[in-house]
Amino acid sequence: MMRTVSIGMVCLLLYGILILPFTAYLKNKPFVEKLGYIPSVAALKIVAADHKELVAATLVLKVLMYFGGLLAKSDAQVTVPPDYMSMSRLLHGSVKLDPYNMDAYYFAQGFLTWDVKQYKLANDLLDYGMKYRTWDWYLPYFAGFNSAFFLKDYAAAAKYYQRAGELSGSELSRLLAGRFMQESGQTELALVYLSAMVRGERNPAVKKNYLVRLNAFKEARRIEVARDRYREIRGAVPVTVEQLVADGLLSPPPKDPYGGMFYLEADGKVATTSKFAFGGVTGNSSKKSGVPDERH
Amino acid sequence: MKHILIITMKGIFRDRVFQGIMVTACAFLLIPALASLSMRQVTELSLTLSLSLISFILLLLAVFLGGTSLWKDIERRYTFSVLGLPLSRQSYMIGRFCGTALFVLLASAVLGIAAFAVVSYSSAIYPADRPIVWSTMAVCILFDALKYILLIATAFLFSTVSTSFFLPVFGTIATFLAGGVTQQAYEFVNSPASKSLSPLVKKLAAILYFILPNFGAFDLKVNAIYGLPLPVDGLLLTAAYFVVYIGLLLSAAAVIFSRREMR
Repeated sequence: MMRTVSIGMVCLLLYGILILPFTAYLKNKPFVEKLGYIPSVAALKIVAADHKELVAATLVLKVLMYFGGLLAKSDAQVTVPPDYMSMSRLLHGSVKLDPYNMDAYYFAQGFLTWDVKQYKLANDLLDYGMKYRTWDWYLPYFAGFNSAFFLKDYAAAAKYYQRAGELSGSELSRLLAGRFMQESGQTELALVYLSAMVRGERNPAVKKNYLVRLNAFKEARRIEVARDRYREIRGAVPVTVEQLVADGLLSPPPKDPYGGMFYLEADGKVATTSKFAFGGVTGNSSKKSGVPDERH
Repeated sequence: MKHILIITMKGIFRDRVFQGIMVTACAFLLIPALASLSMRQVTELSLTLSLSLISFILLLLAVFLGGTSLWKDIERRYTFSVLGLPLSRQSYMIGRFCGTALFVLLASAVLGIAAFAVVSYSSAIYPADRPIVWSTMAVCILFDALKYILLIATAFLFSTVSTSFFLPVFGTIATFLAGGVTQQAYEFVNSPASKSLSPLVKKLAAILYFILPNFGAFDLKVNAIYGLPLPVDGLLLTAAYFVVYIGLLLSAAAVIFSRREMR
């Protein structure tokens, strides 16, 4: 009996010694490794048996945890580029298992557009979801926003917004189709969209992500207002943002929450060196390249 | 047969299986917290987790109660004393099956009540966009129970031919996995995507499709989770399929068991 107790005590001691380095190892495991690799959807369908919805929800939560972990790292001044390809693969896999899973569409919409710039892929996924979630106005609303803001396909956007309006029963379609279906309303469109996303979001990591982007667009909008005021007063387009600050039209000076610098393109459109993404700051050479989607 | 049914139920309770289920059901308490991790469908996730937990517990019951019930009686030589009474082997086996099936129904009712409580709680905290259709949820749990009763019948069939618990337990698990994908496999071999498959494989897949139980029809989770309308005609067909298929399995099991040599 004493011998068994002694062995048990030794095992307990060894466990105490082992558990700390073991936990540290798991905590510091590379992120990509943490997100892991999943078998093909066909294999998952077989293994999941009658728990396809559960497996789909697990995949979405896995991506969400991973992304939340990355944001926590960025708070600690450690920038780890997210493995967007794996995130996309997992979310696409989850909707193949459960085509009704709203979390997957919602989260994919969040990063496939702003971060990965795969607008077509995002809308294809939303179109796929619309075939199943026939009652949901969010999906056509997202697709409408992508069409108008990123793809500049106003005809498609109007159709999506029309559908969203019909499903929601609100004045959404008229409001969005009428007010924002023009180039000049792009920043305002993004502000309305992002404000709605921030309001409806409960997950702290995702909410923070939207909030940072909303603040960046609010700053861009301030510059646009100052630019238009400058044009009214001087009858010419300002060349730099600093000009607007010096003339007292822009106070306090704009600050890009992504760490970039706002500037004005030759045609007066507002752009930023960060391209509205963490780690997106590049040298002066990129200033001239001006990605259209980040100009206002 | 009625006595065997009651004895089976008593035996299951005496083995503290019900207490085991109650301990496992404590996992229901974690569901609201886990579901709150969802961004847009907290209620749907709590429904998913609740229904999957019920399904998992019923699977364990079906495999272990169904797979070991007859085998244990033969192994412990209980069958000698029981079958010495004026009772046919068929009645004994059917009684055992009905007792186990009744226990699974009882367990699913109790777990169903726990699931209703959990989902009500989650939806009270985070109101769902979609209305929760309680009747669909109840039908989903009922059909889940029917599926596992069908699996118990398969386990009994395996038990009648087996001399150890390996075939009933692992055979039942294999049947469960195969029965969940037979529909997909059948649709695949009949689609243009299977052009490269040989006709022999296609024919084999078709034969297996008709022989193996089709559990896909019993899975109504997606209807319950997202409040989708239930296909009434489909449910009637599935119920008829259940009755006929279970009749076939039990008839085969009864014939084999009545001819089995007991040592």
